[in-house]
Amino acid sequence: MSRRFDAGHAAYLTLNGAIVAFLLLPIAVVIIFALNPTPYIAFPPVGVTLRWFVKFFTSAEFMNALWLSLRVAMIVVALSTVIGALCALGIARGNLPGTRLLTTLFLSPLMLPAILTGLALFQVFMLAGIGRPVWGLVVGHTLVAVPYVLRTTLAVLQNFDRRVEEAAAMLGAPPARVFFEVTLPLIRPGVIAGGIFAFIVSFDQLPISLFLVIPNGETLPVVLLNYIRYDLDGAIAAASMVSIVLALTAVLLLERIIGLRAYVRL
Amino acid sequence: MARWKLSRRTFLQTSSGAAAAFAIGAPAVHAQTPVLKTTAWGGKWGEVLKGQVIPAFEKEFKCKVETDSAFPYYPKLQATPKNAPLYDVLHTNTSEQWQAVVEGLVEPKLSAKDIPNLNDVYAYAVSDKICGVSAFTSAIGFGYRTDKGLAEPKSWKDLADPKHAGARGSYIIPVNSLGQMHLMMLGKIYGKGLTDLDAAYKALEQLKPIKMYDFTGGMEKALLSAEVNIGVLHDSGIYRYDGQNQPIAFAAPSEGVLSLEQVWNITPGTKMRELANQYINYILSPDVQKTLCEAVWYSPSNKKVKLGANYDAKLYNTEAKVAQLIQVDWKWYNERKDDIDARVTRILRG
Repeated sequence: MSRRFDAGHAAYLTLNGAIVAFLLLPIAVVIIFALNPTPYIAFPPVGVTLRWFVKFFTSAEFMNALWLSLRVAMIVVALSTVIGALCALGIARGNLPGTRLLTTLFLSPLMLPAILTGLALFQVFMLAGIGRPVWGLVVGHTLVAVPYVLRTTLAVLQNFDRRVEEAAAMLGAPPARVFFEVTLPLIRPGVIAGGIFAFIVSFDQLPISLFLVIPNGETLPVVLLNYIRYDLDGAIAAASMVSIVLALTAVLLLERIIGLRAYVRL
Repeated sequence: MARWKLSRRTFLQTSSGAAAAFAIGAPAVHAQTPVLKTTAWGGKWGEVLKGQVIPAFEKEFKCKVETDSAFPYYPKLQATPKNAPLYDVLHTNTSEQWQAVVEGLVEPKLSAKDIPNLNDVYAYAVSDKICGVSAFTSAIGFGYRTDKGLAEPKSWKDLADPKHAGARGSYIIPVNSLGQMHLMMLGKIYGKGLTDLDAAYKALEQLKPIKMYDFTGGMEKALLSAEVNIGVLHDSGIYRYDGQNQPIAFAAPSEGVLSLEQVWNITPGTKMRELANQYINYILSPDVQKTLCEAVWYSPSNKKVKLGANYDAKLYNTEAKVAQLIQVDWKWYNERKDDIDARVTRILRG
């Protein structure tokens, strides 16, 4: 029996295919540029080379920047998940007055242009005589990463069945044990999703880093921007590929370790 | 014997502390070493400056140089107290130096008594169009494709040739100083002089359709990929591909080339005045000038620099050659920048 042609389904598939192509096309361009021997974007490619990857991985400036960005992003993930999750719990559970205002306040770093946040933090640090230490950069990144964790954790908490916690408490579990063994595992998908966002936000952060970056040490996006100004070539595409691979690896690792699919529909 | 007990709190404190130490790294403290804070470009400039020049300076003068390569430098300097400036030495293009000098953030002039190598620089490097000292310069003219059957451009007017329509390039004027200088040059070529904005606007209108780029790097790539056949570009943006068999060349218009200066200056509030003088003197020394010039294809300001034959033939390193450099009045331009930005945006949008 032949299946009947379903125009609606075909349109649905076409539209989805177009959206996926639209989203992935820039990555395809980056791959072509990264593997093309010419020092500029050329289509069709004239060959395949790994010279831009070699240039990227053998450049002390790129490697120092990559390492600094990774270290900062790791700390930002740790800080923002703790702060964001606690804030979300406080807002959702604390019976606090003005929770809407509090939520807006915590999300406000997302509403301001990041360049203004960077400039404001820079001025505060300078006026306070703090200078530009690494932890200042971490503070700046954390400020814009916390709202992501807050938002994703609040989303999970909205569908949270509190009777599970009440049952644990009624069975004699002290509050700390209820938190670590019942609450935390249940809000984990929101916190982890927020943590992934936090990593990406920090790793790709440019406007804030421009102001708070430490002397003699720039993060990868700052180095890449400088590089584009003076030496735009395939090394930029190679660096972008490395960033994409890092992000993909993080997501796949999380999926492998904790089974993201169980929590988030990917 | 007391038994050490690992509580959750102790574990969290210890592990987070260790993680922070691992991640950030303990900063080295050099309380006795004087620290000079300055700015430095990225790319090849930064590679040579930070990789060769600064380490040698640090060794010779027993100091530490902290560089900031994350522009914009001027607003950062603006945001710090004048008596405790973010930088001791500011290295930027001339336009930013003039913004800073107007606010008293950098010195109007430097003294040869403090910086002896100033005695050996060409007059343009310390002219009334410069605050501080121009240590290097590149010449802005045209970059063009040599494989498109085009004759070498001889005049700034050649950019308007109808055969280049849609294949000519310049810069987004509000954000790029080469674009700003090109606009002023249009005033000189088609009007009464560099400050004849009406003539410049009219000439800009005639250049449409024109492709605009934000960075010089973008223009270089546009030329290399034949996205444009001719574009406003500084000579180092072409000469850096010397020996790579690329079909591009630099053309210096007969009316003169614009001077894209790399200016070094000192902040009045610096606590490292002597070291700042020594650093600029070092940058102006013949050996350092030669190293940087041959690495990035910039022309030296010090008359005593002896360049290799290939560089000597192309760069502006004699009195006769530097006489072709045209300097613009950045103080004048900066005072009108907002109006100019609005006007050129309207012209190019329309």
